[in-house]
Amino acid sequence: MSSEVTLEELAALMKKAAGVTVDPHDLEARVDTPFAEFGLDSLGLLGIVGELENRHARALPTDAEKCKTPRDFLDLVNSTLTAGA
Amino acid sequence: MSAQPNRRTAITGIGVVAPNGLHAETYWKSVKEGLSVLDRITREGCGHLPLRVAGEVRGFDASALIEETFLVQTDRFSHFAMAAASAALKDAGLSDAAADSPYSVGVVTAAGSGGGEFGQRELQKLWGQGSRFVGPYQSIAWFYAASTGQISIRSGFKGPCGVVASDEAGGLDAVAHAARTVGRGTDVVVAGAAEAPLAPYSMVCQLGYPELSTVEDPARAYRPFTSAACGFVPAEGGAVLVVEDLDRARRRDADVRATVAGHAATFTGASRWDRSREGLAHAIRGALDEAGCAPEEIDVVFADAMGVPEADRAEALALADALGPHGTRVPVTAPKTGIGRSYCGAPLLDVAAAVMAMEEGRIPPTPNVFDICHDIDLVTSTARPAELSTALVLSRGLMGSNAALVLRRDPGPAAR
Repeated sequence: MSSEVTLEELAALMKKAAGVTVDPHDLEARVDTPFAEFGLDSLGLLGIVGELENRHARALPTDAEKCKTPRDFLDLVNSTLTAGA
Repeated sequence: MSAQPNRRTAITGIGVVAPNGLHAETYWKSVKEGLSVLDRITREGCGHLPLRVAGEVRGFDASALIEETFLVQTDRFSHFAMAAASAALKDAGLSDAAADSPYSVGVVTAAGSGGGEFGQRELQKLWGQGSRFVGPYQSIAWFYAASTGQISIRSGFKGPCGVVASDEAGGLDAVAHAARTVGRGTDVVVAGAAEAPLAPYSMVCQLGYPELSTVEDPARAYRPFTSAACGFVPAEGGAVLVVEDLDRARRRDADVRATVAGHAATFTGASRWDRSREGLAHAIRGALDEAGCAPEEIDVVFADAMGVPEADRAEALALADALGPHGTRVPVTAPKTGIGRSYCGAPLLDVAAAVMAMEEGRIPPTPNVFDICHDIDLVTSTARPAELSTALVLSRGLMGSNAALVLRRDPGPAAR
């Protein structure tokens, strides 16, 4: 599995884990908008973290579930996944 | 209700999700016609279990009624509760209640089994794949409190919230709790209960109840007050009410469908049906006291109707104990024999039926029940026309709770 998580993948995870429908292009345009404004709550983000940990078979930093925006989240997740990949 | 006795409470909205109707109006139409929808259980994964007959809610499309963000984090029992709450608020003309003053609206629900289907799915992931595969929403979805929380979040209500976990009769306790909350100063409380106990895990939990009917013929599975009584049939669904300060309801010119006049609850121990006679009688007296209501004023009784001979006998005797000679004369009905008992949802469905019975002047019949072997006037076969001003709703739970609720038809401001 490629280690970079894309905006498309994040959008699909938001739908699967939290029922939040968001267009990947919209997510890209609003990459600094808080998750809460997309309707994603903290438990929803926690579910996305769990799903990514299972897919990549590795732990993500505990800060991942505290990220406020898509950009912060992807930066943290991808820097972890690419480090030592 | 004793906090501010001068602050009376009205029911201004009713929402129903039931095996015999997905809206309050269709539910009432089925109830007054005495329709029985008890049927063989069709839910996946349940076919091998010895419980064969139930009241399933069929044709309920949660995705058409509830946003996906709420659906993914909730069980079917909360889907019913959210749908019924929306319908009740719409009926009360309060769909946008939170916009004006979110702190003036509270929520209270009762629950007896929580989110069994959701819980089973996540527990299967736990034991099948491991703890890392359990979704975070498991932490909230299967708890008794889920429906109260989700109704308030979804509608933006910030008033006092509560959850009553006091057995099946807790459905009536939730209505009383709502009335007390109104008495303490909250304008509106969304109050109700809905359950979804027809999934494999939930059904297995019920199999240990000796009161559960395992009869395979839907027409014979639940026949309280007869010599053929063989236990009760479980069901899904429930009802949600909008309970509101009566004066406020009148000021905004709302349709006051009934008033909550009195309530009392007792506890007499799990499956001690002989003792429920005393417990139920005490609850009835307490509810009448609070309502300032004489036994002769009760125009109709919605019975608990457990369907266990000893329990039926206790209920018939409790009516005689508490109401005196009127106990054998007052019309008694149990519409739940046509739909089953949805645990905490069952007494709420009875409250909904009682309100609509008073509005229409018609006592609905008790489906599938014919030869009564107790000294009560049970309404069977067809609805009975009657002038109804006051209704008594009774409920008992398998764990030993007993409750009674008195409802009055609103005489209107002129008659006060």
